[in-house]
Amino acid sequence: MALGQRLLLTLSLTTLLFAADAPTFEKTVQPVLNSTCSPCHNDQLASGGLNIAAFAKPGSIVESREGWERILEKLRAGEMPPKGIPRPPQLDAVIQYLQGEFDKADRNVKPDPGRVTARRLNRSEYSNTIRDLLAVDFHAEKSFPTDDLGNGFDNIGDILTVSPVLMEKYMAAAESIAARAIGADPLPKPIEVQYHAKDKRIRRVDASTIEASHRIDFDGEYLIRFGLPGERAADAKPVVMGFWMDGKLLQSMPVETKPSGLVYFNPYSEEQMRLVLPEGDHVFRAGFIDDPFVKGLTPKELYDNKKNKFFDSITFVGPYPSKVEKASRKKILICDPNSGAACVDKILSTLAHRAYRRPVTRAEVASVTKFVAMAKADGQSTEQGIQLAIQAMLVSPNFLFRIEHDPFPTDPAPNGQFKVHKISDVELASRLSYFLWSSMPDDELSGLAEAGKLRAPGVLDAQVKRLLADPRSSALADNFAGQWLELRNLDVVKPDPQKFPEWGPDLRDAMKAETRVFFDYVLRENRPLADFLDARYTFLNERLAKFYGIPDVKGADFRRVELSTDQRGGLLSQAGVLTVSSYPTRTSVVIRGKYILQNILGAPVPPPPADVPLLDEEAVGTSASLRQQMETHRNNAVCASCHSKMDVLGFGLENYDGIGKWRTMDGKFPVDASGTMPNGKTFSTPAEMRAALTDRLPDFARCMVEKMLTYSLGRGLGPNDRRTVEEITRNWAASGYPFQSLLYQVVGSLPFQSRRGELTGNGNAGGLAAGPTTKEVAPR
Amino acid sequence: MITRKALPRRTFLRGMGTAVALPFLDAMAPAFASAAPGKPPVRMAFVYVPNGIDMRNWNPGYEGKLTELPRILKPLEPYKDDILLLGNLTHNTGRALLDGAGDHGRCCGSYMTGIQVKKSTTDIKAGVSMDQIVARQIGGQTRFPSLELGLEDARQSGDCDSGYSCAYTNNLAWRSETQPLPPILDPRALFEHLFGNGVVLSPEARVRQARYRRSILDFVTEDTHKLESGLGPTDKRKLEEYLGSIREVERQIEKAEKDNQQIDPHMEKPYGVPADFAEHFKLMTDMITIAFQADLTRVLTFLVTHEGTSRAYREIGISDGHHPLTHHRNQPDLMEKVAQINCYHLKQFAAWVEKLKATKEGDGSLLDNSMIVYGAGLSDGNRHLHEDLPTLIAGRGGNYIKTGRRVVYRKETPMCNLFLTMMDRMGVHMENFGDATGKLVGLDLA
Repeated sequence: MALGQRLLLTLSLTTLLFAADAPTFEKTVQPVLNSTCSPCHNDQLASGGLNIAAFAKPGSIVESREGWERILEKLRAGEMPPKGIPRPPQLDAVIQYLQGEFDKADRNVKPDPGRVTARRLNRSEYSNTIRDLLAVDFHAEKSFPTDDLGNGFDNIGDILTVSPVLMEKYMAAAESIAARAIGADPLPKPIEVQYHAKDKRIRRVDASTIEASHRIDFDGEYLIRFGLPGERAADAKPVVMGFWMDGKLLQSMPVETKPSGLVYFNPYSEEQMRLVLPEGDHVFRAGFIDDPFVKGLTPKELYDNKKNKFFDSITFVGPYPSKVEKASRKKILICDPNSGAACVDKILSTLAHRAYRRPVTRAEVASVTKFVAMAKADGQSTEQGIQLAIQAMLVSPNFLFRIEHDPFPTDPAPNGQFKVHKISDVELASRLSYFLWSSMPDDELSGLAEAGKLRAPGVLDAQVKRLLADPRSSALADNFAGQWLELRNLDVVKPDPQKFPEWGPDLRDAMKAETRVFFDYVLRENRPLADFLDARYTFLNERLAKFYGIPDVKGADFRRVELSTDQRGGLLSQAGVLTVSSYPTRTSVVIRGKYILQNILGAPVPPPPADVPLLDEEAVGTSASLRQQMETHRNNAVCASCHSKMDVLGFGLENYDGIGKWRTMDGKFPVDASGTMPNGKTFSTPAEMRAALTDRLPDFARCMVEKMLTYSLGRGLGPNDRRTVEEITRNWAASGYPFQSLLYQVVGSLPFQSRRGELTGNGNAGGLAAGPTTKEVAPR
Repeated sequence: MITRKALPRRTFLRGMGTAVALPFLDAMAPAFASAAPGKPPVRMAFVYVPNGIDMRNWNPGYEGKLTELPRILKPLEPYKDDILLLGNLTHNTGRALLDGAGDHGRCCGSYMTGIQVKKSTTDIKAGVSMDQIVARQIGGQTRFPSLELGLEDARQSGDCDSGYSCAYTNNLAWRSETQPLPPILDPRALFEHLFGNGVVLSPEARVRQARYRRSILDFVTEDTHKLESGLGPTDKRKLEEYLGSIREVERQIEKAEKDNQQIDPHMEKPYGVPADFAEHFKLMTDMITIAFQADLTRVLTFLVTHEGTSRAYREIGISDGHHPLTHHRNQPDLMEKVAQINCYHLKQFAAWVEKLKATKEGDGSLLDNSMIVYGAGLSDGNRHLHEDLPTLIAGRGGNYIKTGRRVVYRKETPMCNLFLTMMDRMGVHMENFGDATGKLVGLDLA
């Protein structure tokens, strides 16, 4: 054979070989469909409503994409083929092939970054922005109505609206904030407000601490007096007392507790502090720090003024003018406004620039400066004029809304031939800071953006790093994690005091803090994602440690604790998570199972039919354990389709009661935390279930990608985002899922960096799936 | 009667607990521009309770003149001559109609709008609610075109009902098809909304404050117009909503200026949200009574607790959530608890009816001049039924409704027929609303 011919032969043989090996629909998928799937999923039987015949053609992968995605999900989770049907060895090849086909299809579609609707600042963004813009401490959560949720988050552009009531609140807030910022308005005369244990307005937190909620009407200095009846034994040592506002220690000082030597019928002493307090509703506490003395007393002796010294009142006297210049004045008045128009102009143009989060035009500064003139014409001072100008800026849409501009707002080209453009550096800076800080960009970030340097090589990543390291990134723990894990519901749930007598505001706050600090730690230390599913450490204070039965943790602050048993570990063992996924009177395997499916595995189930019978509540724990009652779910085939994968996850958490306390008995019955995952893996303790879940880390990762993208973009995800989700998930997997890597990738992704005009003719505002989605979620 | 210019400022409603006869003097007539001279205006209110009602204990076994009332309605028996019970009113738009599960999202979203709301968690779409249609037309005559109240905060996180946005279950009133009007929940916020911040300003200071506010709103309106010009339709719509709210606030400021007086309701400003349900209900309705009397508004929707709520009622010894209880599958002890909750709600309402009746107005009472609807978006909460919705009207709507009886209409009579009729009474004559087939006859048969 000639060389040429031989070469040709080899070549064609090789090609043939490759062709023979290359998976195709007919060779790889169809045989499995025929042998394994169609015996149940055919025309007559149609198990689960699926007739696989519809999916028997190669083109169906693109045409029936949603359906194929659901099939792939079930294959990956090992739910299909179900128990009893042998798993064909080619199944892995099928999964790979399907994934490959999806990727190919996505790659062939023009990348579509979607678009997010102009969105107003939500409550926490408003509060944070006011703090960073004016150094004023304002709590929008206490004044503004609750923001509506979309896709589980309260920062979704399409959902956030401005009702007339909210507009009124914005106006009132602007007035109050501007006045506080400048502080030029005269203070009223000081008044005295007392909270005494004998009226109901003071709460005894414990033997050494009292708490009162008080509204401070004006920023200023206040004299705070503490009433301390009683005295201790002559050899008693002085104790340190602390005064806290909203959980933060403001000041501490030593207090004598031994008898004063003077004769009293009723021993009594007073201590006082002078502090600058910010306007608003606050929760104040006064208490002794580290007071071992009370441990040796009987309950009656605690409030016996011959045996103990304790707090019984807090009195606020004020406001007095503060000698310390307000931080907000320093920030705003960068020169002396009385020195002339040039200074006023400088102050206002700087303010407008920062308030609108972009460079401002001369005309815009002029339109704001006219308020100064208006105020002065009424005989007010220049400072009060600046105050009025601030008031105006705070209700401007440039402040309240985050708006991004499109060169082609209504895309002229129909049929998917839209134009994609990168958002401007300035717009990118805003997105970045609101994503990581829930607040406005700082001077460094906006400086880089305005100089056009934000996208220079390495700069964006360096900024992400800097923003993450800044304490303001705790906003991710508060806002992202708080909503992803539904922890905000801890403020709303009401566990039954009979069944759960330990429940109270302190325990609740401790639960919130544990998960928040844990998330924050994973974020800051760039821990692997798997830590969320199971970690050998957590963060506790004395109260929570006692609740968990973990010894040797003293004090009210949270610190890292290494876990020596596997009773606890990861989010699904944290009391906060376990409480929000329970009923007021008992645990619910269904709610917990649904919680895990929805928030961890990203595989929510459809809602149940309306007629579902309720559990026999009385019987739970008495004549039948919860678990036994739940078996009905799996005995009924219709119910089993969802409940077989949902309940089993909840069963794995049955060792934690309705507020997350470890238990081994459910009433009269021993807790049985065993189960079998749909893929056949068994477990018999929560720790083993966590290990089984860790097998599904890729699904968890994908779920996190979707949620983080939703949160960062402020819109729901749609088919056009699949590619982005795939890419990020894949890249993240390659490095073992270090948490921060997700954030860097989100920031670098197409939808975060770009947008397109609105497609005319289908009214679809980017990224929204029209009509009911396949992923419906069950009601509680 | 609290009025604007006709009476000296200090002629006020005295106290909240006493029922003092304040004659409706002719001197007050100029204050009510639209009402016939000497006639007080008609008020319209909707009090909505979620998760259906135990119909066995709601529907009396008879029609016609009201005699003895069933268990849930018992607290209203002393006022049976002032109430009208309606049977067989239906909201077909609350039904699934091929959209699958989500009866709670639908029934609440459609209750005041008569529209089948769009099943989505992010792309919300309802319709203009009937109270807002009325508010748009007559609301210009009062300081507030309408008021929206509630007692329960929206859920802080998670989802609401089977793919329906929380916006549907947390709101009754809709200003536009995409903009709900969230209820005011905090008594302090309501107080400040109605009666001002409590900071007593001198008349000059108040005038100046109003002038500043108006200038600021002008400035903001200008800014918004400038911004809008480069935006796509959805963004534009968002800013239009914003402009609409600005205009509304502007109008309220103008109206308040014309009044030239701060209304002193003679009650202490509430500190915050009371822990007790009954107290919360009473505080809010007491303020509404004053608002009606002072003609601050004539249109109210009151979402007592949000649709689908799992609120427990420990105040009456029930620790289980409301919603789970209503899926009782006919177990007697659970049905009993549901009945207790229904009774508890109605008891608070009856206390309000008592107060309205005791408030004299014209030659009758404030109740006589009102149409207060008490109802639910579902009848049987267990099976999620949307027909024979429990509905009663308290008050005669200014000698319009013949009360003291029960009228049962033909099956599947649209609730929107009632709405059409009520709108008519409020002076808003619509050809159609929602799925109405016409006006409801027989409300006023002598």
